[in-house]
Amino acid sequence: MEKKKTMVQDIDRTIYDIKDAVHPAYQVGQGLTPEIVNEISAAKNDPEWMRLFRLKSLRTYNRLPMPTWGPPLDGLNMDEIVTYIRPNTPMRGNWAQVPEDIKNTFVRLGIPEAERKSLAGVGAQYDSEVVYHNVREEVRRQGVIYTDMESALRDPVYGPMVKKHFMKLVPPEDHKFVALHGAVWSGGSFVYVPPHVHVKIPLQSYFRLNAPGAGQFEHTLIIVSEGSSVHFIEGCSAPKYNVANLHAGCVELYVGKNAHLRYSTIENWSKNMYNLNTKRALVEEGGTIEWVSGSFGSHVSYLYPMSILKGEHSRMEFTGITFAGKGQSLDTGAKVVHAAPHTYSSINTKSISKDGGNCVYRSSVEILPQAYGCKSAVNCESLMLDDRSRSDTIPVMDIRNDDVDVGHEAKIGRISDDAVFYLMSRGISEEDAKAMIVTGFAEPIAKELPVEYAVEMNNLIKLEMEGAIG
Amino acid sequence: MMLLEVKNLKVSVDGAEILKGVDLSVNEGEVHVLMGPNGAGKSTLVNTIMGHPQYKVEEGSILFGGKDITRLPTNERAKAGLFLSFQSPEEVPGITLENFLRTSRVALTGKPVRLFAYQRELRQKMAELGMDEEYASRYLNVGFSGGEKKKSEILQMLMLNPKLAILDETDSGLDVDAVKIVSRGVEKFRNRKNSLLIITHNTKILEYLPVDRVHVLMDGKIVRTGGSSLIDEINESGFQPLAESKAV
Amino acid sequence: MDLNFQHTNVLPARTWNRLGINDTALAEELPPAAPYTGPGPAGELPEGVAAFSGPLPAGEPETGMGHEEADFVAEHRNCGVSLKVAAGVHAKTPVFLTYRVDENSPFVVDENAVVAEEGSDVTVVVSYLGGARRGFHAGLTRLYAAKGASVRLIQVQLLGDGCLGMDNIGAAAGEGGTIHVIQAELGGRKALAGCKARLEGLRSRLSLDAIYFGDRSRSIDINYVAQHVGRKTRSDIRVSGALLDESEKTFRGTIDFVRGAKQAVGKESEFNLLFSPKVRNRTAPLILCAEEDVDGQHAASTGKIDENRLFYLMTRGLSELEAKKLIIKAQFRPVTDQIPDEKLRNAVAEYVEKRLNRL
Repeated sequence: MEKKKTMVQDIDRTIYDIKDAVHPAYQVGQGLTPEIVNEISAAKNDPEWMRLFRLKSLRTYNRLPMPTWGPPLDGLNMDEIVTYIRPNTPMRGNWAQVPEDIKNTFVRLGIPEAERKSLAGVGAQYDSEVVYHNVREEVRRQGVIYTDMESALRDPVYGPMVKKHFMKLVPPEDHKFVALHGAVWSGGSFVYVPPHVHVKIPLQSYFRLNAPGAGQFEHTLIIVSEGSSVHFIEGCSAPKYNVANLHAGCVELYVGKNAHLRYSTIENWSKNMYNLNTKRALVEEGGTIEWVSGSFGSHVSYLYPMSILKGEHSRMEFTGITFAGKGQSLDTGAKVVHAAPHTYSSINTKSISKDGGNCVYRSSVEILPQAYGCKSAVNCESLMLDDRSRSDTIPVMDIRNDDVDVGHEAKIGRISDDAVFYLMSRGISEEDAKAMIVTGFAEPIAKELPVEYAVEMNNLIKLEMEGAIG
Repeated sequence: MMLLEVKNLKVSVDGAEILKGVDLSVNEGEVHVLMGPNGAGKSTLVNTIMGHPQYKVEEGSILFGGKDITRLPTNERAKAGLFLSFQSPEEVPGITLENFLRTSRVALTGKPVRLFAYQRELRQKMAELGMDEEYASRYLNVGFSGGEKKKSEILQMLMLNPKLAILDETDSGLDVDAVKIVSRGVEKFRNRKNSLLIITHNTKILEYLPVDRVHVLMDGKIVRTGGSSLIDEINESGFQPLAESKAV
Repeated sequence: MDLNFQHTNVLPARTWNRLGINDTALAEELPPAAPYTGPGPAGELPEGVAAFSGPLPAGEPETGMGHEEADFVAEHRNCGVSLKVAAGVHAKTPVFLTYRVDENSPFVVDENAVVAEEGSDVTVVVSYLGGARRGFHAGLTRLYAAKGASVRLIQVQLLGDGCLGMDNIGAAAGEGGTIHVIQAELGGRKALAGCKARLEGLRSRLSLDAIYFGDRSRSIDINYVAQHVGRKTRSDIRVSGALLDESEKTFRGTIDFVRGAKQAVGKESEFNLLFSPKVRNRTAPLILCAEEDVDGQHAASTGKIDENRLFYLMTRGLSELEAKKLIIKAQFRPVTDQIPDEKLRNAVAEYVEKRLNRL
């Protein structure tokens, strides 16, 4: 691979010291009005209940305050966002205006020409539509429904199922950006897997990138019935450029009895984005949710997939990597609630900070009084590549039963001199040795991803590392 | 032909002077042994020869193949033909032994490696060392027992074929059978007219090798140099007599 | 008098408010303030150790519990001792201080300081005893270890079930200075403890051992912060304890590597034994880092006594109760063994033994 410099142009924003106790209360303007919400609802042909739902969410949004912990959101101009939400505004920008570095990264990652415009939100769909269509056909034979949210909502058979589940797991009252989502959501996937079906090919949301409101406020709802299994992959490693810089998506996952769902995400939003995503899974008896998460992009990220282990013997496994470079404040982690006996959770994360980037690992493990016989293991490791960056680990455990086995380990440090020396003593250059060590550090996540994604993720890391060393 | 020449080497670590003027040379095709009590500076010497950043050369020089390598970065020294088998090899998660060795070989030779031939060679050499095939796809040294780590080092030596292999206490922590296997591996290497500098305490590894020269390092200096009989002398009377003679 | 703390034991980096761990609020009705009539320092001070007054060198260090407690103590204090150890003096015997919170004196607010000048070292053992039905104790101790000096503070809190107690420590160390703290929070209906050490000097160190014991409906709330400012600084925080009945414990432990603290090493470990399904154990072990060249580690383990270990002891003839008692006491031993007074050690052992009989 050619060794060119990666110079991602950042919007000039100061990163505040996130250790400051309380940020002053930040008021959001009243840019979003019921009229706009009604417009959106009408343009989408929403059923009436959805229109009313959106309006109620809007009221909740106006009422709730901005979060006071976590990276500052002062740079988010809500009024600007509002104009992009209006249905008649094209979400696509102009190819000429797409930043150079985005275009360069497409080249470096080997993204085909047609795809680039689609990823940059400026072109018509490339043949992803065709691929998507073919995948749908194949899984339909198994009885699996994989469609866009708007269609699902209107479907006579699945509409009621959607209505029953929509934003029940993540209610708009949860926090401000979920309420916003409830009011203006658009696009996303609906997946329904009937009982005792094992979906062999992974379903990828990548195909759905260019629906209007592209990827910004998409809602994903997945229902995996008893005894079934499926792997869903969200996002892609190529940087997704968006004119409007807020991503407030929502993912609701229902894992049925003895079912298995793997949800993988590689998030590489362009570095002007505010990524405030809410993901939640509800797991029934004997079910398993596996999260695999790679966070590379965005200017600011708040991302904590949460799992509620509702049924006995249910399980959650979370594997994640976060790489924060220049100008990035990535606040990520996981949450799990053990609400039933004999449940199991494991959280395994790695984070890398360089070039003034901030990584925060934030988690909570709660074991409720009724949850006996539970086990939880958390392991988080952070690598600092220079002394300009920050890496904070903020885990919390709240345990309300004695019949538990809870272990927690955290480590932070730099690339070991001894490890570099060892690799160099075998002829490998210092630069390559460091890249190998960082790639090796990310291995546990890479190996959970399908091969193409793993390769892309490693390429991404190499690119990021070149920027650091060059 | 002189392969390694260490001249009046003075080395400090963290401000403390460990080597106080060491002279040592190894010719092509020779087997040298370095002995000395704990804390004498043996590991310091070999790590310095390899260029470990923590060891500071205050005075003196190191020449390899006639070229001054005193300030050369570690990977350049490896390319020149130096190899160090570590006393406590690093665990590097995320990289398999197989991939690592392949990358290393490419780095050292500058030539691409043909996958099947490489894998065949790797499997063969692992078998010779009594290493289970599955270690090739395990992360480099991660969770390896002490013995397996040492074998992994010798495997690397056999795969990378250096001109001078420095073995830092390769036989310590190995059971009787493992020592035999490792010794045979080392001997095999040695037959190709390469050189060895071996640090050892228990000298069992030397039972299978013809030793050309023995150096005794005490308190940061070489106090005695001799033939292989010096090993028996030390095994019988310990290092004390040499210390006393030094004082005289 | 009413006590009203809004933000005490503040977590150095906020997290989700819902978890209720960002800080602790405390609203209590206190016994009326009165002069302290209980004992103070026992016996003569060792040679080289003398009382002093005046500000601490290098200013007032920040404390683990925070301003509210420190301000309260400054305003209401009715006892306390400030000691200075002269340069080069290795105090031959420890200094023993005992404060009693009993019916005669149910309101005890002590403000203390221990300053060890260059190259000196001293051990101060402070016990808080007494069983007033509505007792209150608020303590504040500031520690300073100058260049190459060492201060060892051992605090043993064995208050009765009717007492509310708080033990707050703020420490700072100069080059090569060592702060060594042991806190045993074993009594009281509600116990708060905090310790913050600012490791400013090159190679300065903090060693902080805490043991806690919760039974009935006792609550324990702890906040420790090891702040690494200087290079090659080192901190070791070890917390270990047991919770029975409906007791609860909240522990916040932060290793904070400030930019510039090159080659600093910070380690934190926590070991919690739980004995009843009604307990609540909350932990927030933080590592904050702005410096690359550091080594930070944290390990925590929470749960019941290991079954295999229990079984092993029982195969050697101990009943289940005896085995459990043995294990808890063994857990505390490494810490209590450091108390340089046999009587106090025994008092702790007896106290724990008595409370464990209810297991």
